[in-house]
Amino acid sequence: MAIKFSRTFLLRKLHQITGIVPLGAFFFVHMFTNSKAMNGEAAFEKAVQELHDTPFLLFIEIFGIFLPLLFHSIYGVIISSEARSNALGYSYARNWFYFFQRATGIFLFVFILFHILNLRFGLIPGLNLTPVAGNADLSFNIIAAEFQIPWVMVFYMLGIAATAWHLAYGIFLFVVDWGIVIGENAQKYTLYACIALAAALFGVGANAAVSFVRPCGLFPQALCEHKSESKPVSKPTAESKRF
Amino acid sequence: MSTNGHIEKKRLENPPAKFKLKIQRRDKEGAPIRWETFELTYRRNLNVISALMDVRKDPVTADGTKTTPPVWDMSCLEQVCGICTMVIDGRVRQSCSALIDDLLLASGGDTVTLQPMSKFPNVRDLKVDRSEMFDHLKRVNAWIELDGSYSLGPGPQVSNELAQDRYALSRCMTCGCCLEACPQYGDGNYIGPQAISQARLFNMHPVGKIDIDERLNGLLGDDGITNCGNAQNCVQVCPMSIPLTKSIYETNRDITVNALFGWLKK
Repeated sequence: MAIKFSRTFLLRKLHQITGIVPLGAFFFVHMFTNSKAMNGEAAFEKAVQELHDTPFLLFIEIFGIFLPLLFHSIYGVIISSEARSNALGYSYARNWFYFFQRATGIFLFVFILFHILNLRFGLIPGLNLTPVAGNADLSFNIIAAEFQIPWVMVFYMLGIAATAWHLAYGIFLFVVDWGIVIGENAQKYTLYACIALAAALFGVGANAAVSFVRPCGLFPQALCEHKSESKPVSKPTAESKRF
Repeated sequence: MSTNGHIEKKRLENPPAKFKLKIQRRDKEGAPIRWETFELTYRRNLNVISALMDVRKDPVTADGTKTTPPVWDMSCLEQVCGICTMVIDGRVRQSCSALIDDLLLASGGDTVTLQPMSKFPNVRDLKVDRSEMFDHLKRVNAWIELDGSYSLGPGPQVSNELAQDRYALSRCMTCGCCLEACPQYGDGNYIGPQAISQARLFNMHPVGKIDIDERLNGLLGDDGITNCGNAQNCVQVCPMSIPLTKSIYETNRDITVNALFGWLKK
């Protein structure tokens, strides 16, 4: 007898795989690039310029990031709307994680939309109005100016934390839903590893964000190849915000 | 759970003279729900069913109003038939094995709250219609095809390990606890851990394995196994300690290998 797949089955599998590749993979690259801000303005802007010089950039942006992100977020909201969370009545860790996965998903829907409009396009009124895309030489100052605003910094920290958790627990859900990790003990250790990954991703992301307002981020400045004498971190000026 | 059968029960040190039973009532399917509280005399070793029987003898609420006796399902009274399942103090379980002492100790109050399961059609008071669980068993071919016109002889031998693993799954009594606690189950969105685990039980059997594609097809629908949200409440509330989540994940592997990547073998 031939196996027949339903639409829901295929959409769910596509939703799971788009979360890992390309979106999860992209997040790793994104945090790696951000971390170059530890070494100062010049190093970060060089990294941004290199990204701008990526071959097939528009193709990768549309098919590797934008469309998977659109599908993953819209279908994710549909999945979340079907949940009947009962984490208060049946207060188990895994039941809370079930709730967090949906809560972080909904939060990230808002956050990522804000993040793209804010930095990629520079379209949030009252904040930065210069798109980072195409302006690699201004990128560090644009971001540094944004991160000087306390609520923006807090919002980005929450966004990084939510993404780190959503991705790390999403990897756990992936290996469980594809029948890779089955047994109780195997799942326990895999879950620990994913929680450690979430903490590590948040650490790297938060450190990179802090690097835009403090040289070398959370680390002692001696550890970074920061040429603070020759090119100090520019204090955001009124002009840099008005580009 | 104790394996040698001896469980030291905790008891109320200073039991109250009276306690209350708060029951969610409904006259018939679709009728509005209402709450009624009954005051009962405490006795040693009362369980929820014997408390309900006390209410039935004299159905007068705590404020003195005469009412109809509450309706509930029961049969075996030893937690093997599953029919007396209800939501007790917000948690789904069998009412026959729910002791009043344990409930009052856990809540610290003097009231035990009873509700019907919320995921099934409420027939009346605490009685629900669980027939959808049996429809799900039919959809996943939860049996082994053995009918023929001549004797097929003894079945194939299985290892002791496989027999024990299958025995654990065979203890399912179709009570509905896993479905009630599942945050994904409801409105026909998800077939639920009970049917998935029974499909697994027969897929594990050397003869039953022949029909694995039929069972997997039953689990690949729009309401199929892929709707599992991995909250794992099912395995926490299962009164028979069935490894329901293991059944789900083993079936996930069957689907990945046989169905999703089956084309690689062709």
